[in-house]
Amino acid sequence: MNTPSVGRQPHGRGHSEGHGHDLGGLLAQVACGDHAAFEAVYDQLAGPVYGVARKVLRDPAQAEEVAQEVLLEVWRCASRFDPARGSAAAWVMTIAHRRAVDRVRAENAATAREQKAAPDSGTSEDVFELVDTALDRQRVRRCMGSLSALQAEAIKLAYYGGYSYPEVAGLLGLPLGTVKTRIRDGLIRMRDCMEVAQ
Amino acid sequence: MSVQSHDLHLLTGAYAVDALTAHELHEFEKHLEQCPSCADEVRGLRETAARLGLAAAIAPPPSMREQVLDAANRVRQLPPSGPRTLTAGLTRPARRLRRRLPRPIAVTAMAAVIVALAILQIGTRHQLHQAQTSNQTIASVLAASDARIELSSSTVGGTVTAVVSGHDREAVITAAGMPTPADARVYQLWVISPAGARSVGLLPGSSDGATSPVLADDVQPGDQLAITIEPAGGTKQPTTIPIVAIHTRR
Repeated sequence: MNTPSVGRQPHGRGHSEGHGHDLGGLLAQVACGDHAAFEAVYDQLAGPVYGVARKVLRDPAQAEEVAQEVLLEVWRCASRFDPARGSAAAWVMTIAHRRAVDRVRAENAATAREQKAAPDSGTSEDVFELVDTALDRQRVRRCMGSLSALQAEAIKLAYYGGYSYPEVAGLLGLPLGTVKTRIRDGLIRMRDCMEVAQ
Repeated sequence: MSVQSHDLHLLTGAYAVDALTAHELHEFEKHLEQCPSCADEVRGLRETAARLGLAAAIAPPPSMREQVLDAANRVRQLPPSGPRTLTAGLTRPARRLRRRLPRPIAVTAMAAVIVALAILQIGTRHQLHQAQTSNQTIASVLAASDARIELSSSTVGGTVTAVVSGHDREAVITAAGMPTPADARVYQLWVISPAGARSVGLLPGSSDGATSPVLADDVQPGDQLAITIEPAGGTKQPTTIPIVAIHTRR
């Protein structure tokens, strides 16, 4: 397990890099074919990537498949990461979430999707114990608490459930426009709450 | 259905959590290119969404580590700069495992493709004449001295094979093992150039998961061949994220 060291990032990039032990720098090395750097990236992000895939897909085998694809994609496309467009963690997590969602939508109406969406609390025993992750989890939970119930529900269904916003509207029995704005307002409030750098 | 730009701006949140429908996704991404304030907002909300993801971390199966690190040894990396991908800005490049085949193997592979094509076309006798003309072209692409085979996995499963001749500016595309799309939707093939996407046509359906070959002409080096899932009959422009995208060599 990694040893926590608060204040490890003297330039205050902490919240934009989030998970980072300078992930952006590692990606630049990965882009040059550095396998050791890729290992380091794996160790930082395999948990989140797999976790998101599990949340969205539910099925462990499929989640593993998607996680592998995503991580290889990171290896393959590291040179396309552009720090000007956002943090390295966001780049990877965007790929991961999209890939999981694509998979779920392609499968369309498969059995797993019929269960009523009840995003689980993420407190299973195999939860990653990285301190950064624990902090993230704490902060996310706290900031979720600052949202209205509908905002939080809509965001959880969309992000963790992988539902499109019309599907979310259907699940919550709300008009489309309402869900659209709830997701946006909720995310904006979360962004401000977590002081995510723009 | 056209969406007003004010409404489009409200989609930043849903976009950041990948909750747009295929149609809106396409419109929104077009809009993003012309709306710096939307792009800014999306950037911030993406960071926020990423935090939701980081908070959901679960330890993956231990065996995954070695598999991924090992696979990286076999996957070629993209060069630092290259053709722009479809969703300019926030790209999600399709997975592709390019294989550079040594010449003799390439020839064998081509022979295999030709056999496969021959078998595939037995079922379409009534289109024989048409097929023959197209077959001649296909055969000439396959036989072109600079023909290259590109294999790529699609995100819905299965493999897409493209034989590309830069000299002839043509490509032959076949797919195998892809599931039949739900809701009477279809696979549509595109040539993506800096000028935009041009439809090549629909991938023919198939009973056993392998499609008969489709010929794409006017494929310039550097163009991408992409397949999207579209409503029955196809569309004028792609409305969904490609399930596979193959870059042709410059």
